[in-house]
Formats: sequence, structure tokens, C-alpha cells
Amino acid sequence: MILDAGWRFARRFAAAARSAPPGPLADFYAAGLPDMKAAPGDMVAIDLETDGLTSASDSIIEAGLVGMTTSAITLATARRHRMRPRRALTGDSVIVHRITDDALAGAETEAEGLAKILPQLAGKAIVAHFAPIEMAFLDAACRRVYGAPFVAPFICTFQLEQRWFPASHRTNELRLGHVRRAYHLPDYTAHDGLIDAIACGELLLAQIARRGKGDLPLASLLRR
Amino acid sequence: MELQEIRGFIGQQAPFNHLTAAQLSRLASAITIQYFRRDSLIIDAGVENQWLSVLRSGAVELMLGGTDLAARLGEGDCFGYPSLIRNGLTQNRVVALEDCLLYRVPKAVFLDLRTENPEFGQFFDISESARLRQAVDKLKGMGGSVAQTAPVFAAVKDILRRGEVIRAQVTDTVAAAAQIMAHSDVSTLLIYQDDSLVGIITDKDLRRRVLGAGLDTALPVTACMTRDPRSIPADTPVMAALLLMLEMHIHHLPVTENGRVIGVIGASDLLAHMGSNTLQIANRIRQAPSPARVAEATALLPRAVSGLIEAGVDADHIGRFVSSIGEQSHARLLALAEAEIGPAPVPYALVAFGSLARSEQALGSDQDNGFVFGPGYDPALHDTYFAALATRLCDGLHAAGYEYCPGNIMATNPKQRLSLDEWQQNFTRWIRTPTPEAILAGTIFFDMRAMAGETSLVDRLREHAFEMARENRIFQSFIARSAAGARIPLGFFRNLILEHDAVEGDVLNLKTQAIAPIVDIARAHALAKGITVANTHERLAQAAAAGSLSTEGAADLRDCLEFIRDMRFRHQGQQIRDGQPATNKLAPRTLSRFDREHLRDAFKIIRAQLDHLRSSMAGGVT
Repeated sequence: MILDAGWRFARRFAAAARSAPPGPLADFYAAGLPDMKAAPGDMVAIDLETDGLTSASDSIIEAGLVGMTTSAITLATARRHRMRPRRALTGDSVIVHRITDDALAGAETEAEGLAKILPQLAGKAIVAHFAPIEMAFLDAACRRVYGAPFVAPFICTFQLEQRWFPASHRTNELRLGHVRRAYHLPDYTAHDGLIDAIACGELLLAQIARRGKGDLPLASLLRR
Repeated sequence: MELQEIRGFIGQQAPFNHLTAAQLSRLASAITIQYFRRDSLIIDAGVENQWLSVLRSGAVELMLGGTDLAARLGEGDCFGYPSLIRNGLTQNRVVALEDCLLYRVPKAVFLDLRTENPEFGQFFDISESARLRQAVDKLKGMGGSVAQTAPVFAAVKDILRRGEVIRAQVTDTVAAAAQIMAHSDVSTLLIYQDDSLVGIITDKDLRRRVLGAGLDTALPVTACMTRDPRSIPADTPVMAALLLMLEMHIHHLPVTENGRVIGVIGASDLLAHMGSNTLQIANRIRQAPSPARVAEATALLPRAVSGLIEAGVDADHIGRFVSSIGEQSHARLLALAEAEIGPAPVPYALVAFGSLARSEQALGSDQDNGFVFGPGYDPALHDTYFAALATRLCDGLHAAGYEYCPGNIMATNPKQRLSLDEWQQNFTRWIRTPTPEAILAGTIFFDMRAMAGETSLVDRLREHAFEMARENRIFQSFIARSAAGARIPLGFFRNLILEHDAVEGDVLNLKTQAIAPIVDIARAHALAKGITVANTHERLAQAAAAGSLSTEGAADLRDCLEFIRDMRFRHQGQQIRDGQPATNKLAPRTLSRFDREHLRDAFKIIRAQLDHLRSSMAGGVT
């Protein structure tokens, strides 16, 4: 099964690579995929703050990223990118993320932001809590800016928790803060993109520590 | 990169709070975060170490290299720096006690910041003892939370009302002296012979010795004065002056500067300054017509102690004050018992053991006492009397808050009512044929002080006991081993199980776990060197003078004891303010960070001194 999915995924990745115009996205694909059969090497944890929940119409307004391995998170690699929304912020998202139009005044355009984010992701597995959100928003942004899809190997800590430790939780307790508490990880201020990325990376460290590092090819971690 | 969440956490912890914003940013952005599951090994002993580790959450245990001792660290604590500073291999093995999240700072960044920022670096440089000493100094400087200027650390001269010193000459008559007092509106008058102070009279003397006794007021004032009054230097601390009054049962003290009297300080001046009813309790006890009245007076003690704590009085002085009240309660209750059942048929002494004997009593102490009988004692003839006396005494003490001794070290126990000979034989037997059990139960007998009666009986018993002990190396080794067997909760923290108390749950017992080991160390040295004083501070000082203990070791232990007792009194003060009985037990989670860190330092020092004791003295029997 894993081999099968891996093969299909590699084919999708290659197809997306062919459709990318020269530039940051093509460079991202050129870096290739990490070795799926080997133990995971460098990864990057990501969290996106958006001004809504619909990837087609809403925008990424902040991206937090931090590099990690299965045993450590390196804060020297921590980055935060602020991007201008395509429309004025709505009251609701301001309340949730505490990011105002003023704070975004110095932010970058979607294209400028992607040009900085993509090199950080190149060649690595991407870690997110409930990864479909990150996958969808990055994909929509890439389609808008480059006219090509974003395909990348994602590790979803939300799904890993369900897959590896199904007995531990009820579904409604799988939000990041809840799952972290089960691992005795500290409570961080929620909804800061960078801290959430770090928090998500810490959760993956804890999950892997709980499961054990033996026989853990990257493919077994990836979202299915 | 702004890492506010992480910077914020680290910046709150000592010593990282000394870093500048820029340094903190540099440190935060160099961090590697790692997660360790409970029971997993974080770093072994004898390996290279790359990190200064800060515990973001969880708890670890440091197994101190080559020993079975463990230090436990909790959130905000850091470890791993000694090997970085030494540039050598690790000495301790670190294991996760709980799931842990670590912020790990690379060696180079740590060493740079340590060099750059002396305040930050100092934390890692100085030993536990230096840190503890700073803490004690800081507490002294702070005083209580209420008092701005720590009133008791003021000297007598700071509160002395200056002005002309009112005096009379020995040749003046009683009437003339009274007129001088009335004219100058003073309640005390100093009596001089030429330029020397030879006596003092007070309002009370005029009432009691003149008017009450019908003394002829035409007589010279020498007829009613108190001769050779005790005086104190102007820089005497207020609390010391108060204690002196308490001990001597006086209310006025001439104050001298450069050998000249500059004024008279009254108890009321001291008390007004301290805002406390400390002396009043002693007076009430001394004048109590019944045991119930003694109990009423001692019931005021917790509030008085609370006031002294608020005022920032140091633990040693509070301990002496509480002990002084204890001593007077014993003496008064015994006198009341004698008044009830008649005078004693033979000379005897009431002896107290333990903290009261050492003048180190805290609140909530139980009683430890006995009778020592002088010549002529015949159990068949006299024991009925003394048993009755003991019952009244011990019941009275219990009612006054000195609860019955759970170990039955009370005069009501026939084994605690012995002639001097019998007591001496008991000590001889303990010392000649020691057993671990007997030692454990018996050490407090070596802390003894007469509370009432023939003090010389207790003095002779003490001399005998210490003389025997000094000559017996095997006994000393038993004492040292018993002391060194203490279980020190090294580096205890929030959820370490310390001592299970039925009412309070898992608690730190400051008396048994922190104070007792220091008392034991001091006693072991005292017994080895024939030092007969009972007070722990004095024992430590004399042990250092006798070379049994290093000067530094004695100073460290003195600071430890002072710090822990201060903590205990502050804790008891809080209990009193909360309307609870004062205890020695406290929940570790209630400790401030300051106390927790310094308590850990104190435990390290105690542990080291126990190890020293074991290696220097405990070897005699193995």
C-alpha cells in the first residue's frame, strides 16, 4: 500500500514539476523529493495564518516555518513571513489572529512571500497540524502566482495522532493545544504562525518519541 | 526573528533575566528544542556535552557522578553548564522524570554570553554557598514585606530619644531623687558616684521599695537603687536589647557611647518601635496566678512571632525569643505546681532537651523534659511527689501549646525522673555500648538546659556526658553515621514525594528534613570536641575554632540554618495570618522561586557537610 501510494505521489510530483514555469516553484521541484524509504532527514514545520477558511477566495497572511529533524527543532532556521491579503481584513479574522491591516502594511505580496517560502520547503517533508489547510492554501497561491499546482510530501501531526494512537483521543480533542497537553508540552499563545509551527514541530518530536524511532521510513509518516 | 514566546519564558528565569534584550534574542535564536519522554536518558555521565539545557516543561533527575545522590530539577531550571565551563566530560547522568521539553543553548553561545555579561556569568561561577550567603544577606536587607526599613536591624541609638541624661548622685536622698524625676518627667534616674554610673532607680522602685516598704525618704538614694546596672552600647541591635531585657527581667537599659551614658532606653520604646507585644507575654507568664493564665499568655505567642517576622527579625533572634518564652513557661508552671502541692523534698532541676535547650525553638514545638534529682533522693519516699509535680507541669505545658511528647520524653515518664547518678549511668551506657537505635532516639538528650531548680545538677550531667563522649571514638562514629544517614531531599521540587502527611499530603518537613541534619552535624562535632554549649550556631563556631570543622564549612552551615529557619518562620507567620496552626511542613509548590533555588543550594551544602562528617568521623567502626 505504502509503495503504491508513494509511486502515485511521485508521479503527481513529477507532473506538477513539468507544469511549473521557470522561477521559485520550478526551483522547488528541481530540488526533488526526499528519500521515502529512508528515515526522515531534514523537515520543515509550517503553520499558515489565513484571513478565512476557503483557499480559493481567502489569503495567506502569515507563514511561520522552522527546520527540524525527528529529534530536534533548530530555532536558527525559524522564519516568519507576512503577506498582504488580497482584500481588506474582515473583523472575524482580525479577532482570531490579532493581525490588523496596519501590521500588514509592511508585508509582502503573495508572489514575494512564496518566493521566500518555497526555497525553505524545497527537498524536505513538510510538517503541519491538520495539513489539508496548508496544502490547499499553498496550492491555491501557487496556482494564482505560477499557474501550476503545489505538490509536496506532507506529514500531518493530526492524522499521525489518529493513526498511531487512536485509543488516546476523541475526535474533538485533536486540536493542536489538546494533543500537546497529552504529551505534557507547554501551553503556547495560540495563533501566531511561527509559534504554532514550532508547537507543531514539538508535537511531532513527542509523537515520534512515544512511538519509537525504530523502522520509521519517511513514507510511513506521510499523510495518506 | 521574533521568538517572543520562547524569549519571554527564558527571560523570566534566573540568571537569564540578567541578559540584555539583544543577548536574549541571540540566545533564543540559537536554541535547539528537544523532547524527552519520561524515563529516557538525556545525557550520560562521562560524555561530551554540547548544550546548556533549560527545562521548558517537565522534570529531570541529575544522578550526581559516582554517588547515589540525586538532584531534581523542574521547569525553568538549567543543567549541563559545569562540563561546558570545565570544557570536560559530564559528571552527572541526567534522566527525564517526566515528559520534558528542553531548550538547549549551544556551548559557544553560552560561553560567549557568560564572558560578555558578568551578572549572568556569575550565576554559573559561584558555588552554592556563596549564592546562599547572598540570599541570607538579601533577606536581611529586605526585612518583612510590611516594614520598609527592617526595624529590628536598627540599632538602639536610632530610636533613642536624645537629650540631657537625667542623673542624681549617691549622696542625694530618696526624696531628692524622686523630685528630680518628677521635675524632669522621667521614669528612670541614673545614680552616679562622681562620674561613674553605679545605680539606677525607676518609678517601680519608688513604688515598691520606698512607698510600699515604708522606706524613709531621707535615706540616701543608694537604699532603693538597683546597683551596677547593665548597660548596652549604642549600636546594639534593637532586638538584642529586647532579648537582654527579657532575659534579665528588666525594662530599662542605660545606653553608652564611647563609654559615656547617652540615654536610657525603655522596653516600651523598643516595643513601640517594633509594634509587638513581645515583652508583655513574658510579664504575663511570670505573673500568671494559674496554669490557665500561662496558657492565655502563650496563646499570644503566635501573633507576637508573626509581628517579629513582619518586622524582619532574623530567625536566630526569633528562635531565642520563642525559647525564652518557653523557658519562662516551664519555670512558671513548675512554680505554680510547687505552690499547689508543696515545696520539693530534695534539691532537683527541671531539664529541657532538644530545641528549647538549644534556644532554637519554633512555634508548635512539643515538650521534651525531665527531672534531675540531687543528693538525698529516695524514690520510695519522694517519687510520689515528683510524679504529681510532673503531671501538673506536663499538663500545664500541653495546655500552653507545648504538646505532649509523642516519644514520651516527659517528666511524667518514670525513666525521665532520675537522680544525677542514674542519669550519668544512662549516658555512660549509651556512650560505652552504643546501638544505632539508641543513638537515633538519644541524640537530643545531649542538648540539655536547666529550666528551673538546681541548675548545677544539669551542668554536672552535661559535663559528664560530654567528657565521656569526647573520649570515645566508637561512640562518635555512631553519632556521625547516624547524622550522615539523613535523607536530604536534594533539589526537591514541585511534585517530588517528600514526606507523606495524612492531613497535608506530600510535604517538605523543614524541621526533620532540613534543620535536624544541621543540628545533628553540629552536635556530632560538639561531642567529638567536648563542646558543651547547646546552641547550634555556637557549636558550629566552636567546632571551627577547635579545627573539627573548616571555618568555611561552619559559615556555610550557619547560613543554611539561618536561611531555613527564616523560611520556616516566614511560613509559620503566613500560617498564623491565615488562622492556621503553625507547623514545620510546607507544600513545595507554595515555595517562591527564590526559596526553592536557595533551599536547593542549602541542601547541597548540608549533603557535602554530611559526607565530610561521614568520611572524617564515621569510619571508627568499619
